[in-house]
Amino acid sequence: MSENIDSSTAPRLIGKPASVVSRLFESKQLGWAGFAIAVIFPFLVANNYAMNIATTAVIFILLASGLNIVVGYCGLLDLGYIAFMAVGAYTAGIVSKAWELPILFTIPAVLLMTVLAGLIIGAPTLRLRSDYLAIVTLGFGEIIRLTANNLTITGGPSGIYGIPGVELFGLDLSSPVMFYFFCVVVVSLLVLGSARLGKSRLGRAWRFVREDEDAAEAMGIHTYKVKLAAYIFGAMWGGMGGMLFAAHLSAISPQSFVFLQSALVLMAVVLGGMGNTRGVVVGAVVISLLPEFLRDMGNLRYVIFGVVLIAVMVLRPQGFWPARAYEPEKGEPNKHGPDMDDGGSGPGAHGRKRSRREHKKVTTSGQESFGRETSSQERGENA
Amino acid sequence: MTQLVWNGLFVGSFYALIALGYSMVYGIIKLLNFAHGDLYMLGAFIGYAMLSSVGIIPASMSITALLIVLLLTMIISGGIGVGIERLAYRPLRGSPRLAVLITAVGASFTLEYGVSAIAGPNPRVFPVRLQGQTFDVLGARVSAPQIVLMVIAVLLMLSLNSYIQRTSMGRAMRAIALDPKGSLLMGINVNKVITWTFFIGSALAGAAGVMAGAYYGKIDFLMGFIIGLKAFTAAVIGGIGNIKGAMLGGLLLGLLEAFGSQWLGGEWRDVFTFAVLIAFLTLKPTGLLGERVTERV
Amino acid sequence: MKLRIPKVLAVGAVAAALMATTGCGGILSGGDGNASGDSGPIKIAAVIPLSGSSAPTGTYMKNGMQMAIDEINAKGGVLGRQLQFDPEDEACDPTQAAAAANKAVSNGAVVSVGGYCSGATLPTLPIFAKANIPMIIPAANSQELVNQKLPNVFLINGTGAQQSAAAVKFMAKDGVKSVALVDDNTSYSKDIASQTKKDLEAAGGIKVALATSVTAGESDYSSVVHDITGANPDMVYWTGYYQEGGLIINQLKAAGFKGKIMVADGSVDASLIEIAGGTNAEGVFATMTQTPDTIKGAETWIADYTKKFGSAPGPYSTQSYDAVRLAAEAITKAGSTDGDKIIAALNAIDGFELFSGPLKFTPEHTLSSGGFQILVVKDGKFTLHDDLS
Repeated sequence: MSENIDSSTAPRLIGKPASVVSRLFESKQLGWAGFAIAVIFPFLVANNYAMNIATTAVIFILLASGLNIVVGYCGLLDLGYIAFMAVGAYTAGIVSKAWELPILFTIPAVLLMTVLAGLIIGAPTLRLRSDYLAIVTLGFGEIIRLTANNLTITGGPSGIYGIPGVELFGLDLSSPVMFYFFCVVVVSLLVLGSARLGKSRLGRAWRFVREDEDAAEAMGIHTYKVKLAAYIFGAMWGGMGGMLFAAHLSAISPQSFVFLQSALVLMAVVLGGMGNTRGVVVGAVVISLLPEFLRDMGNLRYVIFGVVLIAVMVLRPQGFWPARAYEPEKGEPNKHGPDMDDGGSGPGAHGRKRSRREHKKVTTSGQESFGRETSSQERGENA
Repeated sequence: MTQLVWNGLFVGSFYALIALGYSMVYGIIKLLNFAHGDLYMLGAFIGYAMLSSVGIIPASMSITALLIVLLLTMIISGGIGVGIERLAYRPLRGSPRLAVLITAVGASFTLEYGVSAIAGPNPRVFPVRLQGQTFDVLGARVSAPQIVLMVIAVLLMLSLNSYIQRTSMGRAMRAIALDPKGSLLMGINVNKVITWTFFIGSALAGAAGVMAGAYYGKIDFLMGFIIGLKAFTAAVIGGIGNIKGAMLGGLLLGLLEAFGSQWLGGEWRDVFTFAVLIAFLTLKPTGLLGERVTERV
Repeated sequence: MKLRIPKVLAVGAVAAALMATTGCGGILSGGDGNASGDSGPIKIAAVIPLSGSSAPTGTYMKNGMQMAIDEINAKGGVLGRQLQFDPEDEACDPTQAAAAANKAVSNGAVVSVGGYCSGATLPTLPIFAKANIPMIIPAANSQELVNQKLPNVFLINGTGAQQSAAAVKFMAKDGVKSVALVDDNTSYSKDIASQTKKDLEAAGGIKVALATSVTAGESDYSSVVHDITGANPDMVYWTGYYQEGGLIINQLKAAGFKGKIMVADGSVDASLIEIAGGTNAEGVFATMTQTPDTIKGAETWIADYTKKFGSAPGPYSTQSYDAVRLAAEAITKAGSTDGDKIIAALNAIDGFELFSGPLKFTPEHTLSSGGFQILVVKDGKFTLHDDLS
């Protein structure tokens, strides 16, 4: 049943001839190209600083692809995603320090704890919708950070330090370049995994829930389970990111897990193009590197960062690289009117409108009537 | 005990003033305006700039001067709020809601660090500080400036309420919140109403900023951040989009914090507050006064 | 048509990102050549917060360092070479601090003189240690920095343990019977508060009536004020920074608190008195190392600083100034920019005059005596009350 809604096939049904550029961008080789760039990078520049920010960026890509599962695929607004990273980082740090384990041996513990965290946070709250869910996730993010700040086992405000670097089969991977390569490999696999998840049966269910939760439920999808699954997968990705983060910095403290960080990861997802793994990767690279390039601007760098964010979003509201399903369909009249389908439009409905609706019906009706008015005026000429 | 209640109510009235702007904007365009807390900060700095440009104000005149500054600040910060809406939110009105969230965070960065670049990162001391006698009310220590500020806050909230209930613009706002499509059809100038909503919400935040500056005495460029989060929380507790809910939510949040801090110690206060919030929302998922949203018409 | 525009934009964005990455890299790889060679300027790096909520203190530190650098350069530099100052922003964020430290290393720093937020300073330690770059930490003073036992790390600020010892000593001397400890939940502040609590409990005699935390960055501290007036201690010891400290003093006085108030060194700043308002801060004690205000002959230093930067020095201006001077001294003594030699020279230093007194490092690389003394606010200024000797 869900095949009808499978958004990845929708554009093909519409039968728009793909341009050269768009075929290039849809190409399967693109992921490999990105991977190749990441691998070649250290051969171009291998100083510690470049390696450091590149590693940070790679870890950030992992976080963004994890949040993409929650926000992009399933449409659950999460403002406290960094909490999962905190759980992962602290678990890795505490376990490896307490038993003097190599950090990779903490992975089972990290995954266990993050799944637990996902369950604890997700289970009672996923029945909430939209902005109520947002505030609850924000609250959980703060609770986790403050708890880490107040407990002794987490080292209080100073956090945990002296976390060992990565070691694999007796091979020390803790030098900046080796650790970078290690992160690239791990993150590439996980990013690929999240992309695959998005295309799986479960991924289709997520999209369905995002597009229309009630319809999904009516079609026999157990929306609660499906949403919880998105949460748990997102949590695992975040936890792995935390583990890498802990190994990368060797010291973690609650200051790394403030609300601002959650907002930054969310920005990467939205800026890149929600639901599209490739877009999210680009978004993550931009968000993590932009402030670093502006470092020499001092205090002005966040002014510029803010202005750039606004400008980019105004110019490209769907993100750099929106998921394919939202591409506007050619030739469809940009109609609007009083008796418009109140969201009942089918899968082939025109792009702007569909993506506008991806955040819950609570918002759609209000959102759309304004949107439609302005957008039809703006886009009248090029439609 | 009464002291705790009074403290909570006093802080809560600040939260409520800011939460109102959140809730109004949300009610009408469903936007979580993350830059809203920074308008509070901006209000404080505008007031600071005006008061310090005047020079030394005699103590007897300080209340009058403060009221004038309060009014002017409300107008200016309202204007800035409208400007932000024009530049950062309106072009995105037909876009995914999260895109607007990003521009809101962008606007927040720009305001915070813009002020820091202009006024410097050091905290500033407000030129006028409200001082006055303290009274004993049912065992609680209540000071004159607190009463003045509470009265101002309550007056602002009441006039907002009657504005929304009685005037045609207020009716238009309610209409849009209730049924945007219908109100569009009824010939309501939606853009004008949205502009006006931003103006009022930002003006209230600016007023709260001046009041905080005059009462607490210290302002800095990040002062809007935490209180913005708190106000957001308050708006949600009250049922986001609901004006009375925002007021109630603000007061309730203030009380929660006062008691949480007393019972569990300051370091666990926010944990307690958020835990109560989560528990509460799980039981009543629409907030205090929020209405059950019809899922699909 | 409509479709192509976004595509082109996307291509552009990716291309721009790539170019930015490689472009930046190119510049960086150029800078990786070691400046610690035998010619050219000697680079002194400082990883300090220049944005975020700690930006004010970071700026004080930066100014202090800049002043020392300019003075030394005016006198001909070190080893016949000029000093070059490289301040890097870390915003008190560990991730940014690690990036900044790596950038400093890649830029060829010879000595690091930064370090303010302990949580953000900790991850920079292994980075500088691996590069064998000596760190002179002027402000961060968490015990954990000491516990790392790294050979290249030197702290020239008194540690939390030394400060709390001074505080406890003064409390006993002043006849205080019960104390309320209030911190702001950051590592610096909590470190002092919990150490003081431990010391008080070990010594006995003085009761800890209350130990609580506040959230930094807020305006209303009425709940903690309520807790304090409820516990009614003889003295409140605030171990956080001046922004919140000033507000708490103000609100304590407004609530009619009659006991004594003492603050830790992060609160010793003229702004504390201003924020507290009126005469509220009169009689407030402080545990502090020597400051320009309490050192004879420092008036010219303050005047110079004020003239140069247009504002008076603040917390850690002096320590930062001293850190640069100490770095220059060590490089001179070592006669080289080699890390090991500078570290050896730092270890050998005996009697170098700092604002906090003559310097000799303990085996732990901290000040032998914290040099803490008690200040009191009198006529709107911090003045020496008791040197605790």
